[in-house]
Amino acid sequence: MNHYTFEEIKIGTTANFEYELTKQKMRQFQAITGDINPLHIDLNYAKEKGFKENVVYGMLTSAILSTLAGVYLPGEKSLIHSVEINFLKPVFLSQCPLKIEATVTEKDERFSQITVKYTICNQLAVKVCKGTMKIGFVK
Amino acid sequence: MTKEQIYQDLDEIFQDVFDDESIHVTEATIAADIEDWDSLEHINLVVAIENHFKIKFNMSEVTSMKNVGEMVAIIMERKA
Repeated sequence: MNHYTFEEIKIGTTANFEYELTKQKMRQFQAITGDINPLHIDLNYAKEKGFKENVVYGMLTSAILSTLAGVYLPGEKSLIHSVEINFLKPVFLSQCPLKIEATVTEKDERFSQITVKYTICNQLAVKVCKGTMKIGFVK
Repeated sequence: MTKEQIYQDLDEIFQDVFDDESIHVTEATIAADIEDWDSLEHINLVVAIENHFKIKFNMSEVTSMKNVGEMVAIIMERKA
């Protein structure tokens, strides 16, 4: 885990890591959220709709943003203020693990807040998700 | 831009940020007057005002503004 303070972290600081997704995590996400949409759990339904596999829950993909902030940028002192997520392509388990790349692009001294831009790519190097996070620091 | 126009715009910004159409700010309005005006919403509010008026408050302004009237005075100065 990183322990960056607001003063220590710099514009241009980056983080890169991988995120494995599995059938078990899909089932756990369904249990936690109650999202029983068949696109995620019924293979025949997903195929009828033109997908080769069940589509991974978008919010399960984006759940890794919690780790991006809480473990990497800035790590321990993270306090997420806001998250913008753009889902660009469907995510399939066969194309995981996903790769997260993120960079600190702004520092707002007034609020001790950083802006982190991130992209999430699958194993085919296709960008499946991108966006911006605003993250503060616990004292 | 007149003071009246700024207050009209601020009403809309405050209503949007705090999701409350009953909010009407005056020069005496302070954070304690609006239930949801906490430190995080303060950031959202300042950023929304900056984006709307295309200005930037500096650090001392952000920390020293005591009420909406002082905020309006800064906006008027920047837009003059």
